[in-house]
Amino acid sequence: MARTNGRIPGVEARAGRSPGPSLIRSLNAIQREHGWLPREQLVRLARDTRRPLYELEGLISFYPHFRTTPPAKIEITVCRDLSCWLHGGDERIARIHELYGDDAEIEVREVSCIGRCDRPPAATVNERPAVVSELNDVVREARAPGGAHAGGLRTGQAASCAAAPARRHWPNDPYPEGADASHYGVVRAMLAGSLRPADTIELVEHSGLRGMGAALGTLKESGLRGMGGAGFPTAAKWELVATQEGEPKYVICNADESEPGTFKDRQILAEQPHLVIEGMLIAMLTIGAEQGWLFVRHEYGPEEEAFRAELAGARAQAILGENVLGSGRRLEIDVFTSPGGYILGEESALLECMEGHRGEPRNKPPFPATYGLWGKPTLMNSVETLAAIPVILERGGQWWRDQGVRGGVGLKFLAVSGQIANPGVYCVPMGTTARELIELAGGVADGAELQAFQPGGASSNFLGPEQLDVPLDFKPLADAGSMLGSGALVVIAEGTNLLAAATNVLRFFRDESCGKCVPCRTGSHKAHQILTELLERGGGAGDVDQRIDQLEETMRLTSICGLGQVALGPVMSVLRMQRTGTAAAP
Amino acid sequence: MATAPAATPSELIENVTLRIDGRAVTVADGTTILDAAARLGIEIPVLCHDERYDPVGVCRMCVVDIGARVYAAACVRPCEEGMEVTTTGERLERQRATLTELLLSDQPDPASDPKETTTADNELLALARRYGVVKRDGLPEGAIGLPLGSGRGIDDSNPVIAVNHDACILCDRCVRACDDIQNNDVIGRSGKGYTTRIAFDLNDPMGDSSCVTCGECVAACPTGALTNKPLHGVPIRPRSELRSVDTVCPYCGVGCALTYHVDDQRHAIAFAEGREQPGSKRRLCVKGRYGWDYAASPQRLTVPLIRREDSYPKGPLSGDVKGEGRGMRKPGGLVDYDEVLPHFREASWDEALDLIAHRLVAIRDQHGPGAIAGFGSAKCSNEEAYLFQKLIRAGFGTNNVDHCTRLCHASSVAALFEGVGSAAVSTTYGDIVNADVAILAGTNTTANHPVASSFFKQARRRGTKLIVVDPRRERVADHADIYCQIKPGTDVAFYNGLMHEIIALGLVDREFIARRTSNYEALAELVGQYPPERAGQICGVSPAVLREVARLWGEAGAAIVFWGMGISQHTTGTDNARCLIALCAITGNVGRPGTGLHPLRGQNNVQGASDAGLIPMFYPDYQPVDKPVNQQRFEAAWGRELDPKRGLTVTEIVASALTGGVRGMYMMGENPFLSDPNINKVRKALSALEFLAVQDIFLTETAEFADVVLPASSYLEKDGTYTNTDRRVQLGRKVLDPPGQARVDWEVIQELANRIGLPMRYDSPSEIFDELVSLMPNYTNLSYDKLGPTGKLYPNPDPAHSDGIVVLFQERFNTDDGKAHLVPAEWMPPRELPSEEFPFVLNTGRLLEHWHTGSMTRRSYALDTIVPNAIVYLHPGDAERLGIADGSFARVTSRRGSIELRVSISHRETPGSCFVPFHFREAAANLLTIDEIDPFGKIPEFKFCAVRVEPVQAPVVPARTPAAVS
Repeated sequence: MARTNGRIPGVEARAGRSPGPSLIRSLNAIQREHGWLPREQLVRLARDTRRPLYELEGLISFYPHFRTTPPAKIEITVCRDLSCWLHGGDERIARIHELYGDDAEIEVREVSCIGRCDRPPAATVNERPAVVSELNDVVREARAPGGAHAGGLRTGQAASCAAAPARRHWPNDPYPEGADASHYGVVRAMLAGSLRPADTIELVEHSGLRGMGAALGTLKESGLRGMGGAGFPTAAKWELVATQEGEPKYVICNADESEPGTFKDRQILAEQPHLVIEGMLIAMLTIGAEQGWLFVRHEYGPEEEAFRAELAGARAQAILGENVLGSGRRLEIDVFTSPGGYILGEESALLECMEGHRGEPRNKPPFPATYGLWGKPTLMNSVETLAAIPVILERGGQWWRDQGVRGGVGLKFLAVSGQIANPGVYCVPMGTTARELIELAGGVADGAELQAFQPGGASSNFLGPEQLDVPLDFKPLADAGSMLGSGALVVIAEGTNLLAAATNVLRFFRDESCGKCVPCRTGSHKAHQILTELLERGGGAGDVDQRIDQLEETMRLTSICGLGQVALGPVMSVLRMQRTGTAAAP
Repeated sequence: MATAPAATPSELIENVTLRIDGRAVTVADGTTILDAAARLGIEIPVLCHDERYDPVGVCRMCVVDIGARVYAAACVRPCEEGMEVTTTGERLERQRATLTELLLSDQPDPASDPKETTTADNELLALARRYGVVKRDGLPEGAIGLPLGSGRGIDDSNPVIAVNHDACILCDRCVRACDDIQNNDVIGRSGKGYTTRIAFDLNDPMGDSSCVTCGECVAACPTGALTNKPLHGVPIRPRSELRSVDTVCPYCGVGCALTYHVDDQRHAIAFAEGREQPGSKRRLCVKGRYGWDYAASPQRLTVPLIRREDSYPKGPLSGDVKGEGRGMRKPGGLVDYDEVLPHFREASWDEALDLIAHRLVAIRDQHGPGAIAGFGSAKCSNEEAYLFQKLIRAGFGTNNVDHCTRLCHASSVAALFEGVGSAAVSTTYGDIVNADVAILAGTNTTANHPVASSFFKQARRRGTKLIVVDPRRERVADHADIYCQIKPGTDVAFYNGLMHEIIALGLVDREFIARRTSNYEALAELVGQYPPERAGQICGVSPAVLREVARLWGEAGAAIVFWGMGISQHTTGTDNARCLIALCAITGNVGRPGTGLHPLRGQNNVQGASDAGLIPMFYPDYQPVDKPVNQQRFEAAWGRELDPKRGLTVTEIVASALTGGVRGMYMMGENPFLSDPNINKVRKALSALEFLAVQDIFLTETAEFADVVLPASSYLEKDGTYTNTDRRVQLGRKVLDPPGQARVDWEVIQELANRIGLPMRYDSPSEIFDELVSLMPNYTNLSYDKLGPTGKLYPNPDPAHSDGIVVLFQERFNTDDGKAHLVPAEWMPPRELPSEEFPFVLNTGRLLEHWHTGSMTRRSYALDTIVPNAIVYLHPGDAERLGIADGSFARVTSRRGSIELRVSISHRETPGSCFVPFHFREAAANLLTIDEIDPFGKIPEFKFCAVRVEPVQAPVVPARTPAAVS
């Protein structure tokens, strides 16, 4: 890659980003010890590491995990985003404030989506998932001597308190139910060099491939696309990273889904960690990486534990380690626990975080495939994408294609939440319609009529009942004016103020804006201010003026990353539905 | 001759062709769209970008259409082959207008905007006017009417910089200015989303943070978020309404170029700004940017003064200077005018000058020329230094002329002369960019050469390995790759150990040694006795670290050493410098870009004053006075018989005064009472003088001993040239008129010369400059006309077209045989070692905010407000053992005196050692220091004497009101 005066073209300056190893680990250690970050500890850390104080300030004020005041004995967090809001979230939150507001031992915080939209309204007590209806009991337990204290990264103990999710057998798992010994069959075959010849593809002779039976052929044949939101063809991404010259290369599994309504990756991590790990290993072998990372939200404690347990098991079987299965190859996977924030799901923000900076998205290009973690070629895929790899390699690309319906390719995990009878994660053929999925999930809650739905998470445009038969697939949804996005179907029944719902979504984006670029930082705030005031006055879509349209255009066209670009999208979709009486137009 | 910089864009192959607004342009790979557009003369609006900073692409004002789903930020997006770029159009401009309004809606009202009401160059408001987006009153067209906001608040805690967070647009220009330009690392972003704001340290008030008030962030800020506060009620106004004077900073040897913006109605400077110059590159430090108001102090001397008859016999006049009432001193640290002035009466210039001429001539006639001595000043111009030494040499017939260089780099000069035949730096401070390795030896550069240090820190970030060797872990040590905390006074052992290891590893440059040095065998034999184990034991650095440094230095393609008073102010100062010269020479690290010897000069014109002959052993341009051919040359030029013997140095003159040798003195701008070691001895010496004339801008401690005091002009009130540490000769221009009857110094010298029978008829400084150039081969070709706005380096074969020679000694050294003379040095301990009674080592030096004896800086509002008090710095372990808390008071006592002052506990000190800055007369460090001197450079051992530290009750004194200047 060409360099100008030592800089890679397009790589922005290091404003406020000190070079050197990440201090997030050290901050975590201090917070673990003290429960918070006392100033004198921060000053000492800065001195010992010879790093500027402002750098620490930048981190601790950016990541919600860090706290600069001592924690209360009990910390309750309650989600206020769409899926939970639809379940009387505002009133519940008010009641919780009422109940515990004056309690000196208890701190109540409203937080962004914690990925437990299937048990709304979602809450945690001392970082442990809790059900609001059982809050009293959990608080009593925490208050008791020896109860888990707030502060610090949640501990393994706290995490294990949450009921371990039951493991089901999902259609994307190529291994027979209960036959754990058969796991990692694809990796074993790759290392033994016995992956079927059809699976290999003639690539340029590249050291990164190291003669391994490349999985790319099958992957290409399968037509697998990234399930994190953008739907980029997976094989193309792998090939791009595989053919980069830079060394070393990294594989990162992005398990930072944090968009309201989105929790499918959480389920996959909990129930199929072996597939995620195997997918990562296959990717590492294919692109020539030795090191992989799981970047996981800190709210996913129990799931992280499940993943770690699986890692330990894999290590015990020499599937991971310095000499994997006697092949002489080193393959390592570590877990990086996110210090918090939706924006870290944006791939370059995630990299900034892992490098120890504020999680602010980078200007692109360059993309992570060429200039990723620590400037090295980096392959980043979502949990669901990686979990699909083993079955594709085991059963072939065509098998995967055959799983879809209505022209769709493969299987799709979808999280269903909102006003739905049975919220949860469903694995369905790609191309399943919203109507089918809603039926599968027991229909609209309380038998109500459907007013609208978001097919792909908070950033996807709202669709109306007349679009229930649009297949949940990349192109059909795009044609309908929305997107498959993060694979989260949020159902809204009749009787909900749709503009208020969209404004709730906008608030989420405003709260989660990193603040780096002007349009997103300021635009999301001003737009939310305008709409909130309008709603408070009892206004509706017809009262929304051109300012919102202009802000949407500016944010969409000029924001650095997807967050700002789509933040006003859902609002606009509601305006289009309600101003004209028809659903989102393409 | 200039150093080879990194590849410039012009050297890159231009192979990317794109079209911008329909026009084709071919650029080098990696060129941004913004730069490519600029090439076509297409201007794209931008707020967060400035050519001095690498782009961050956050304001989005520069977005352009590249035919993609979304727009691209032109400042950061690289050009691609075949790209079709549109930079303007209704849709694009609409987004820019909206972005402008988004920012504007949270800004203070333009009528109260801190930028618009001062320099009126708010870049956001300029864009707002362009897009017709005007806040509140005014034209609403173009605006879509966004809700207004504010509330991030104001931070007024810094005395000279106002922070208005509401006016901040988070463009990160200040962040990059602080980090990437000055490398002070204070400013970052705090918070997230809409509530994000710039923050100092841990989101502390600016005035409480580690900010050093260099003002680079103010210079960087495009809006009213960071602005200068007016000083002394002189309003800051648009540059076009003020008179701008391009000149040079009056403080340190870095010699930063700056511009003063002058309010002629108020006869005052409104504000200062850094100016482009090859060395300082528009950077300034707190002293340069905010410390110029001393010249406007009401305490300026404005009339000649003659000591009253009843104030004889002579001696100090104030209680402080007499040494009375220790611990009960009046705070503020300035000479008490009310106490001292009544001892003088006003006189006319003629009376005062006649008196000086008459008395000094009488002393000379009675006791011989050797009874006369003159102290010039490194703060005065080359022309004044030249005239002053000419007056003493040709007028009084003695070489007893010296100045404060004796107290700073005299030992370096001695070693450099002996070693390489020239005392000037062999390369510039900026040449560090070409070095693989740099050693900073005994130099607290962040305090003493702040702008130079910013280049050192910057070079390190770009890959130069920085090694800091100093007993004090100063701020620059935080930036070092390796920091060696040597024990005080063990430099020779450290560098001998280093050379031992370099020789042992075979990392010497044999060819260079053979061809360009002499006496290598003797050096090798001596350093052979300093294996890292032994050297490490003496200097307290582990042998492993010594070996690591040796390997780094030995293997470097280009290595450079910078040093300061930590090397020179020892009784072994010359030996210390000899070691550094040898270290460079045996590894071939002289005479190429990125290599060499750079003693960082202290005063703004210490290089020039020495060049101009203000030292007792040399005529101008270091022509030894005891060489007959030189004597003849200058006798011919000046038309007077000259003294064939070397004169006495500063320290020797003081000693001589005590024994009746020197009897009459003329001091221009020197204040030995605070600057010289062992003040009690200086007091006796000054009292013993038969006649003392002091020429200064304030009533100094030294002036209390004077018979006549002449009101001089400050730096800001005269033209002249000044030579910085890089050998850059720059023009200092008159900014203001001298107050009252005060006169420019060169005129005063001329008046005096004419009165003692040495006619001088100069009409201007440039005439004097021409004369000195004619006598100084190194300055050949230079003239006022040719110095240009940024000065010129000497030597300079072609000043009309060249900045001058950066790297000296490329082919030969200045010695007679052209070789570097290696001088082995045995380590010798300092003269006064700690004992049971005096268990601590006292180290003295400067603070960033203050200058020498404080007569300037303590009269500066900014500097005095930031650091108003004398402080002793103690290591936390020592403080704990002594039971001394941070901020409490301690008594520091040596065999020569005792002072009481506030304690600051600092992890930067070596255990067993304490540091006292010498600026503060109420706790004068030089009461404690020892007047032992280096045998070659005659420099005192300011950096080492034995003291005792004990806790004391806080003195009962009135609260300190900052700034003596009203």
